[in-house]
Amino acid sequence: MSWENFRVAIFDKAPDALFVHATIVLVTIMIAILISIPLGVFLSRPKYKRFGLITLNLLNILQAIPGIAVIALALPILGLGMKPAVVALLFQSLLPIVRNTIAGLMGVSPDVKEAAGGMGMSQRRILFEVEIPLAMPIILSGIRTATVYVVSIGTLAALIGAGGLGNLIIGGLSLFRPEYLLVGAGLGAIMAISLDRLLSYLEYRITPPGMRVE
Amino acid sequence: MSLINFFSKNTETIIEYSGNHFTLVLWAVGISLLIWVPTGLLLTKSDKWAARVLALANTIFCIPSLSMFAILVTIPTFGLGRKSALFALVLYAMMPLIRSVYDGVKNVDRNVIEAAKGMGMSTGRILREILVPLGIPIIFAGFRITVVMTTGIAAIATYIGERNLGRFISEGLVRSNTPMMVTGALIISVIAIGLDTLLGLIEKRIVPKGLRVTR
Amino acid sequence: MIELEKITKKYPGQAVPAVDQLTLSMPEGEICVLVGPSGCGKSTILRMINRMIEPTTGVVKINGHDVTNTDSDQLRMGIGYVIQQIGLLPHRTIAENIAIVPRLYKWPKEKIKKRVEELIVMMGLDLEKTWGKYPSQLSGGQMQRVGVARAMAVDPPIMLMDEPFGAVDPIARTHLQDELLRLQKEIKKTIVFVTHDINEAIKMGDRIAIFDAGKLVQFGTPEEILTHPVNEFVENFIGHDRVVKKLNLYQVEDAMHPVQCVVRENEWQNVAQTLKDAGTEVAFVSDQAGKVLGHITLSDALELGGDVEGFKKRVLETKKAFVQSTTPLPDALSLLLEYNSDFLGILRGEKLCGMLSFKDIRNHVYKKEGE
Repeated sequence: MSWENFRVAIFDKAPDALFVHATIVLVTIMIAILISIPLGVFLSRPKYKRFGLITLNLLNILQAIPGIAVIALALPILGLGMKPAVVALLFQSLLPIVRNTIAGLMGVSPDVKEAAGGMGMSQRRILFEVEIPLAMPIILSGIRTATVYVVSIGTLAALIGAGGLGNLIIGGLSLFRPEYLLVGAGLGAIMAISLDRLLSYLEYRITPPGMRVE
Repeated sequence: MSLINFFSKNTETIIEYSGNHFTLVLWAVGISLLIWVPTGLLLTKSDKWAARVLALANTIFCIPSLSMFAILVTIPTFGLGRKSALFALVLYAMMPLIRSVYDGVKNVDRNVIEAAKGMGMSTGRILREILVPLGIPIIFAGFRITVVMTTGIAAIATYIGERNLGRFISEGLVRSNTPMMVTGALIISVIAIGLDTLLGLIEKRIVPKGLRVTR
Repeated sequence: MIELEKITKKYPGQAVPAVDQLTLSMPEGEICVLVGPSGCGKSTILRMINRMIEPTTGVVKINGHDVTNTDSDQLRMGIGYVIQQIGLLPHRTIAENIAIVPRLYKWPKEKIKKRVEELIVMMGLDLEKTWGKYPSQLSGGQMQRVGVARAMAVDPPIMLMDEPFGAVDPIARTHLQDELLRLQKEIKKTIVFVTHDINEAIKMGDRIAIFDAGKLVQFGTPEEILTHPVNEFVENFIGHDRVVKKLNLYQVEDAMHPVQCVVRENEWQNVAQTLKDAGTEVAFVSDQAGKVLGHITLSDALELGGDVEGFKKRVLETKKAFVQSTTPLPDALSLLLEYNSDFLGILRGEKLCGMLSFKDIRNHVYKKEGE
């Protein structure tokens, strides 16, 4: 191992890779949230329950597909680059959020909803002022799972030319440059772990004190 | 068309890679069960240690698999090859297995255990006759996740020298051989979905009848 | 006989022991109730008898044998144990649940089956319907019956019951209490019964031990405790209706006094005189066949003078004022108030055997108070 290689990896390669990786993660998660939460809310309404079951099963199957296979399948269909990578990652980040949104909303006690209705709140108000706030910690936990997942599989997105930290790792592996590999892998691990910590802290903060476990 | 072509031309390779893939998964899951199930059971005795170990498992679980393999490769004792692959897969299995065993056992109503103890059931008997049958649905769910996950991550081990189904993807990418890549991806996906579905069916059947009926 | 000798239990990190230097012996064949506010250590005491908890210091003896000489599992197999949350195994049928301890004893299958059937019937459950069901299919009251049946499966001489009826609804609770008392008359077990409800303690206990903060405050029969509470704590714990509660311990025959004057229906004209002669203030009136119809007081008789219809009417107004001699005293008191009557006739079967007035109740309680 040489210091020179480390220097290049850290100062020349890493900032760019980190930025690209963060962009991929952020964009994917944002879109995933925008799709998943409304979808979860919709599917948790009693009227569409049956539809919800089908959707959940479908997403479950999608989730079972290994990340590397998703990436590999995205290439011939969507081509090279960041956009295909985001679409591929998006597919698999939907399930945890949708599932947790449904679970969170279903978990709100019917008594609370009834009491809110009894005070004259409309269904809409109940959703926004009672159900979603109470379900938020669980929804956030789904977002956390999805985020960690996207950071992880995001390293594989380098395989289809999306760039990111995976570039450093795969480059390091193929060029036998352990320095690149360590920097890429280390940053990937740090990014995943710190996002996990950050989101679980948020989860803790957002949980009303009366509902915290422990 | 080109897919079928690829399939028929490379049947032997496909069988060889599948075999490698399966043995790796089997070893990884086997070792994981041997280590993590007893660990999970042990952790139910101490909440303090459970919190610590689960936090560690959770952190390991966050590490991107490509990163994990890459880091292991740079460690001299591991290097390229099966040792690194196995070690990484066993580490990943820590979180789902320990968590599910711990949750499964902890989820059993404490009063049931109290009553059983009060009737003179020995610790071993309580474990066999109460904790395991009542905890098995959750434990099995963890096992299912582990198997499906291991199957997927094992493919990535191709980058550290494993000659398994992941190789079709990596080679296909390098050589721009789409049929090869897609074949690899499809086989892995089908296996993963198949295993997930199969284990899911077993999971439903494994719930003791007394927990399924209501008044 | 269960003897606790200088038992102390101190949990790590606790300043005050949960149980402090307790010495207590519980006689064989009796229900001994441990009662006190929550956190007073009563459950801890119970659980030290079957070694679910080991005392820090002190000895627990059953029939003179130190319990620590027996393997804890063996010991527990021989002691029935019922807890509030019941703890039926949810994945086993009712029959399998009851069979747990017989199975631990390795009874032959046939014997287990017979015993399980016997117990299901004994607990007043429908054999055919209950046998193969799972706990989640039963109501709370039914589940607790199964819990008690399970504890009695091998007919252990000792039963430990930790708030056994605390989680069932009041009606089911009364039912279960009555049935346990009825059963106890036949089975004569040594029962240690923990509750926080003083009423339940008075109802169930042959003896009551009252605890506060790990210390035994008073130990005695319900009568002793209601009559002579040793201190303010016990007094407050019992409640200010202490004397009314005490009435629960007695039946009307304990407090009644003999009837001094019975007149026939046709002797009505002389009632006032008869009463004056007898020196009493109430006469019971019977028909020609000797069946009692009601009563009339001296003041009424004097007031009515020669009014036949008024006399008959007055007597008939009191025709409901009779109770059986085994009626609990509080019920009789309630009837006295309800009928706005000064006297109740006490019957043994159809026969008049005594009478009861407010004064009798007061005298009885006063006598028992011994003041």
